[in-house]
Amino acid sequence: MTRINRRTLVSASAVLVVAALTAATVPAHAAEVGVSSSEIKLGITLPMTGTASPGYNKVPGAMKAYFDYLNANGGVNGRSITLKVEDDRYVPTEAVAKTNKLILQDKVMALLAPLGTANNKAIAASVNPARRGVPVLFVNSGFSGFTDIKKYPTTYSILPSYVMEAKIMAEYIKDNFAGKSLGLLYQDDDFGSDALKGFTQAGITFAVKVPYSSGSQSGAGVGAGWITKLSAAKPDVVVLFGVSSATAVGLGTAAALKYAPQWILGSVGGDATTIKALGVPAGVIYNAVGASFAPATTDTADEYVKLFSDIYAKAVPGSAFDNNVLIGMNTAFVAAQALKAAGTNPTRKSLMAAIDSKGASFASAALIPLNYSKTSHVGYNGYWFGKYSPTGDLKPVDGKYVLYTTDSSSGAVVKSTWKRPAMPAKGLPN
Amino acid sequence: MEASSHASEGITKLMKITSVKSRAIALFSTTALLATVVIASPAQAAAVGPTCDAKTPIQTCVGTTSDGAAYEIRVPSPFNGTVALWSHGLGVSWPVSAGLLPPFPNGIPVDPRPNVAPFTVVGSTSSALASSILADGVAVMGSGFSVQGWNLDEAVKTNVELIGIFKKAFPATKKVVAWGYSAGGGITQALAEQYPQLVDAVAIIDPVAPVPAMQKLLMDALWLFKTYFDPSMKLTGYSAGKAGDLEATIDIGKMYSILASVSANLATGKWPATAGPSGKALEALGVPSRSAMLLCALLVGMPVQSASFDNINGPEGAQKLAFPYAISPALAALENFGVALTSGLSMAREWDAKFGPNWYDNTKTNFAAQLSESDRDIYTGALSGNTVIDGLLGVLNPANPAAPRLVGEASAVAKASAMYSTTGKITVPTIMMTGVNDPVPAASWIQQVSDKYAVQFAAEKAAASKAYQSTRQYVAPKNKLSVLWLKPPKNWTKFDAAGLPITQPYVAGNGHALFTQKQFKLMIDSAIKAANTGAVPSGGPLTSAARKAGLVIDKYSAYQYLKYYN
Repeated sequence: MTRINRRTLVSASAVLVVAALTAATVPAHAAEVGVSSSEIKLGITLPMTGTASPGYNKVPGAMKAYFDYLNANGGVNGRSITLKVEDDRYVPTEAVAKTNKLILQDKVMALLAPLGTANNKAIAASVNPARRGVPVLFVNSGFSGFTDIKKYPTTYSILPSYVMEAKIMAEYIKDNFAGKSLGLLYQDDDFGSDALKGFTQAGITFAVKVPYSSGSQSGAGVGAGWITKLSAAKPDVVVLFGVSSATAVGLGTAAALKYAPQWILGSVGGDATTIKALGVPAGVIYNAVGASFAPATTDTADEYVKLFSDIYAKAVPGSAFDNNVLIGMNTAFVAAQALKAAGTNPTRKSLMAAIDSKGASFASAALIPLNYSKTSHVGYNGYWFGKYSPTGDLKPVDGKYVLYTTDSSSGAVVKSTWKRPAMPAKGLPN
Repeated sequence: MEASSHASEGITKLMKITSVKSRAIALFSTTALLATVVIASPAQAAAVGPTCDAKTPIQTCVGTTSDGAAYEIRVPSPFNGTVALWSHGLGVSWPVSAGLLPPFPNGIPVDPRPNVAPFTVVGSTSSALASSILADGVAVMGSGFSVQGWNLDEAVKTNVELIGIFKKAFPATKKVVAWGYSAGGGITQALAEQYPQLVDAVAIIDPVAPVPAMQKLLMDALWLFKTYFDPSMKLTGYSAGKAGDLEATIDIGKMYSILASVSANLATGKWPATAGPSGKALEALGVPSRSAMLLCALLVGMPVQSASFDNINGPEGAQKLAFPYAISPALAALENFGVALTSGLSMAREWDAKFGPNWYDNTKTNFAAQLSESDRDIYTGALSGNTVIDGLLGVLNPANPAAPRLVGEASAVAKASAMYSTTGKITVPTIMMTGVNDPVPAASWIQQVSDKYAVQFAAEKAAASKAYQSTRQYVAPKNKLSVLWLKPPKNWTKFDAAGLPITQPYVAGNGHALFTQKQFKLMIDSAIKAANTGAVPSGGPLTSAARKAGLVIDKYSAYQYLKYYN
């Protein structure tokens, strides 16, 4: 038997004390790509320039405004969040190249809100973040297929899907425009297919449907062709379920031709700031119906709108606080909570596990709950409808938010009674 | 496949045809006299040689194998005991006469000459590459093969005999390393699969896929061209002999005319004048011909980035976004088809003569299923949207009488299926290399081989772990496959002052079998190392060497498999 003498005990104790002191002062161990002792790097690809960029190019500035605010308040577990922004001009092959750069060269921990259905599909097919174990958080696309966990295991949606949006819009139409004839302008790809699927499921039929192929909207005479076909069928209500540039072309051309049905604008193309930036006067969309899942950007009584607009005004003075900004900041806020929940030594795996287990309880500005779970990568699942004011702001009818929720398959559309919990103190992850 | 020395010039010329600056091609005359530029292949004979010149430091030996194939051997002094056996790629098996095809004004002869190293070396020469190998004390050799065209079965036999001849003539031989590109890559792969005991390592570059996959890719593409753009293309049932050669040559000419017409009418979307009822109906509905061309590429799995078209850059001005999004993919398809389909039609004619007319059957092919969901969405703009896509696919419905399928005749189909088909199974240390946008498309096959081997290697490791339980000795399995990828730069399309894209003959990662001397040398050196150690180089040293040669090791990208396997 070994005798333990006092000197040995004292020495051992001293070693233990020194080790304890050292451990307390050593920064958190950083073993994951994109995570250092002081920083977490995230990356985003989207159109910052080019014809698809108006409106969307405000999103990174909005996210950075929130991250800078967060960093000034201690960051996430002592780490600052850095967002690397890459311009893909909405070209899928460029999205692939830029995403490769973010992952291989910039070594980001995760992709955050990459924009566009085709672009995200190109990234999934060519960059293969799933195979590399790279989280693709809160994609900026409503394509319902991205919630297929088998096909896109590391991808999380956040926007309600286009199928959900069309089903909910159909319910609104039935509630408010029963018996009226309907027309539809839609993008002739998965974005539009999702919408058609939703409308069909909801039993809506259109007197006239006009598809346009993505990228064609800027062609000479294209808008006039749409309006000619739409107006010939004389629908009372026309749904514009396209991107902002197509919505702007449709509205602007209709105004010029003095064609003014009741417009309903889809969420993707319904950002008034962008429509105005593309040359359509605010008066053209006055009383058009629009949809959102976040509070109205003019609703300064809403605590999230108040805080986020204050943060943004200081970060990007002179820039309008619109829906792209509100949703961008909200996405950054949700991402910050996910990173916090991932633990003091976050890894890509722990980040995804955190969203799976706790994501449904993350705070957010939206008036609709998040739906994440181990078996669901679905984010929001509903909308409220409002009308555009003379200045182009979307406001709930009679000042009351009526929320509808549904799923991307055959589930019913229901009016939601969910109440948004209070914002965490200072809008920071608790 | 590989362009012969003569055809390589033609490929460059063909690139000009597919650019937006293309001029009209005069249709060739069908009454042109058939020139006889054929270098006749020797009839079957007993092996001859080797006859050596006894020179130093490099001794050159020539001879013929028992099947009449010419070979060449070069041995350095001192000789370190390793020989590198090179297999060249596809040459035409029937001569194309002069004056019939504008890109090949002098015709294309049947060429049985042996090569001892890759014929085309970017920025260098075959001779310089061979010299660099010889300078390491390694002998080089290669056969011209007894037949040209798709000659995998024959070429493997020739190579087996040649290895025996070499070992007999040079008893100091310790290691045999086989390498090849294009069809020669397929030959090398088949040699390793069928005769692993004869080769110590292989280097396989831009290989052709297994023959049923190649047949499907090429015949699908040709049938789509016929259906959409020119129903008068024969594709099968050619007449016997020289008359059939002429018919096939005319089909090649029709293909070039289609490419030129679509290229010249990108802006208007006008269809070729030769389009049949289906094409004319699509044109009347406003479907642009470039969308049909792009769909052809996507349906057969042809890459839609090419040497001149990256789908990223656009000219300054109004087309800056529209060009890469809506136009460039079709131009890339045109450029890649121009590279691949000349050889494709050549093989169609060859197999028709070999196996009988109607050797290929596509009556059961579901073309719509061959358009992946992601391709449909990624290229939606260039395909002009879902309505157009559905219309184009609708034409391919087997019930469409204006799109008659190729109906195979059982005995001919059986003969065509009897050729040796590479399996991709790795038993010999193997190093593979490809440009990711190779129009063959080699990246698809190499991806599949790599994925299969990952499963095989995992099983070997599991077996070794299990064996350890009883023996208490862990014998680590040796890694026998490394893959090097040649990727293109971040973007590469260039425009002239008028905003028109500039044809580029070479951009890394594009085109077929286009590599630098450094890249080829890395391949053969790695194979030689593998021959000596039993395992391919991998990990840090290979990554570093690859990077210096402009290549990458990429565990994460996943290239689409060939449609044959879908």
